[in-house]
Amino acid sequence: MNKEITCTDLVQEKLTLLKQNTHQTVNSLLHTLAIDLASKVDSKIASGETIGLLEGIPFGIKDVYMLQGTYATASSELLKNYKSAYTATAIQKLMDAGAIPIVKENCDSFGHGSSSENTIFGAVKNALNPELVGGGSSGGSAVNVAKDYTVFSIGGDTGGSVRQPAGYNNIYGLKPTYGRISRYGLMAYASSTDCVGPLAKSIEDIRIVLNVMSGQDIKDQTTYASNEIDKDSILSSKDIKTVGYFKNFVENDAIDAQIKSDFLASIEKIKAKGVEVKALDFFESETLVSTYYTLAMAETASNLSRLDGTNYGQRIEAENLKETYAVTRSENFSEETKRRIVGGNQVLSQGFSDEIYLKGLALRDQISENFENDFAVVDVILSPVTPDTPPKIGDSLKDPLAMYLSDAYTVGFSLGQLPTLTIPQGTATGLQISAAKNNDELVLKFANFLKDTL
Amino acid sequence: MTVDILSSIKGAQPSEAVNKLFDVIKNAHPANNNSFNNNHNNCVSLDNLRADVVVESSALEKQIIIENFPKEKNGYLVVSKVIEE
Repeated sequence: MNKEITCTDLVQEKLTLLKQNTHQTVNSLLHTLAIDLASKVDSKIASGETIGLLEGIPFGIKDVYMLQGTYATASSELLKNYKSAYTATAIQKLMDAGAIPIVKENCDSFGHGSSSENTIFGAVKNALNPELVGGGSSGGSAVNVAKDYTVFSIGGDTGGSVRQPAGYNNIYGLKPTYGRISRYGLMAYASSTDCVGPLAKSIEDIRIVLNVMSGQDIKDQTTYASNEIDKDSILSSKDIKTVGYFKNFVENDAIDAQIKSDFLASIEKIKAKGVEVKALDFFESETLVSTYYTLAMAETASNLSRLDGTNYGQRIEAENLKETYAVTRSENFSEETKRRIVGGNQVLSQGFSDEIYLKGLALRDQISENFENDFAVVDVILSPVTPDTPPKIGDSLKDPLAMYLSDAYTVGFSLGQLPTLTIPQGTATGLQISAAKNNDELVLKFANFLKDTL
Repeated sequence: MTVDILSSIKGAQPSEAVNKLFDVIKNAHPANNNSFNNNHNNCVSLDNLRADVVVESSALEKQIIIENFPKEKNGYLVVSKVIEE
C-alpha cells in the first residue's frame, strides 16, 4: 500500500477543492466530521489495524439523505435549517466500510428537476462547460465526481436523476434494481421508483459501492436480499449474446442528429463483435413521460404533504392553523415543486383519479410487461441517455414541458424498476445499459464489454 | 375541493404544461385498465414484516428533533394556533 499521503491530507485536499470550486456543487461541507474520521483512519493504519474496504475514501452525498447531525436541506427554503436526526441506511453502510462523507451536494429541490437549477443554492454548473447545466436532479454529485472533488458520490434516481447528470458530465451512474438498496433515510419523492444510486469514474468503483450499500433492510420493506457481485464475474461478457434497442427512441424528430448517428455507430460496433442486435418496439416517448410524471406527481404530493411547518421546516405563522400551513408551503416551496404537488393532487382528486391516475397505473403495468417480454428475447437493452446535449443554464426553467420531455429515455426504466447504468461512451451524453430486474451484474458485465468495444 | 385547498398552496392553479401530460394519459388506451390486477407489486412476506415494537430514539436523535422543531417556549414545543371549524 502507498502510504505517501495520509488520509487526513487526502480529505483536507478534497475539502479545499470543494470549498474553492465555482460549480456550485456544495450545500454544506462536513469539515469537522470528515477530518475527525480521517484522523481515526490514520491512527488505525499507524497501529496496523485491519482497515475496511472503503477506509478513508472521501465521498459526497446528495442533499436529500439523512446523516445524523448534518443539514439535510433538499436544496429547499423549507428545510434550509433542517438537521438530520438519524442516518440513512445506505450512508451508514458506507461509513461502516470506512468511507468518509465530506459534502452534502447541491441538487434540484426534493429531486424535482432535470437540471439542478431548481435549488436555493444556485444552479449547478456542468463539469465540462460551466455555461451548461450540471444535469439533475443529482447534478452536484455528478459534477463533484467528474471534477475529482469526491471519489464517488451517492445520488438518488427517481426518473433518471443519477443517469442523466452522469451522462451530462461523462461519468458512470447506476440506478440499481428498485429495492436492492434501502431507501431508509432518503427523502421520499416518488416512493415506487426512488432508488439510491452511486456515481463514479469507473465500473469497478460502482461495483464496490453497490455491493456495500445493497441488502435487505427492515426499515425499508421494499428491499430484498441480493448476492454480492464478484469482481471477476463481470470481466467476461460471453453470456451476453443478444442486445436490444428501442427503434422509436432513435427514429423520431426529437433526438439530436449527432446523438442518433453516434448511437447507431455504437450499435454497429457491437454487431461487429458478433453480438446479435435486435430492434424492439416500445411505447411512445410522450406516453412514457406522461405515465411517469402522473405517478411521480401523485406520490410526491402525498410524500410532501407532511412538510407544513408543524414538526419541522420554516414555519410562517398566520391567523389560524390552515392558513399557517398554506402560507408556510406557498412561501417555502419552489415553483417547480408547487407545480408537481398541484399536479399530483389534481390526479388524486375525486373525478380525476379513474381517468388519469388509475389509467397511469395500468399503463405502468403494460410498460413492465413489455420489458418482461423483451428480456425473454434479449439479454440487455441499450439506449441513449438523453435526446439532446445539456441545455444552457437558464433555459430549462422557462419551459417545464420541454424539461419533462427531456427525460424520455430514462423514465421508462424507472417505471420498470430495472437496473440501468449510464456509461460515459457512445454518444455525447453517454449510453444506458438496462437488464431485467435483479440483474445488476449483467449491466456491469456489459459495461465492461463496451469499455473495450467502443 | 379546489387544488389550492388540497395542496395547501395559496392561489395554486393547475399548470398548462402538466395538463398536457395528463391529456396524453386521458387519450391513451391501456389494454387492461384494471391496475389492481397486476403481478408487479413489491410484496413483503409475512415472515419479513417489521416487528411491532416501539424503538426508543437515542438521546442525540431526540435532541436534534427538538432542535428542528420550529418554536419552543418555556421548555415546551409550540404548535400553531388551532381553530376548530
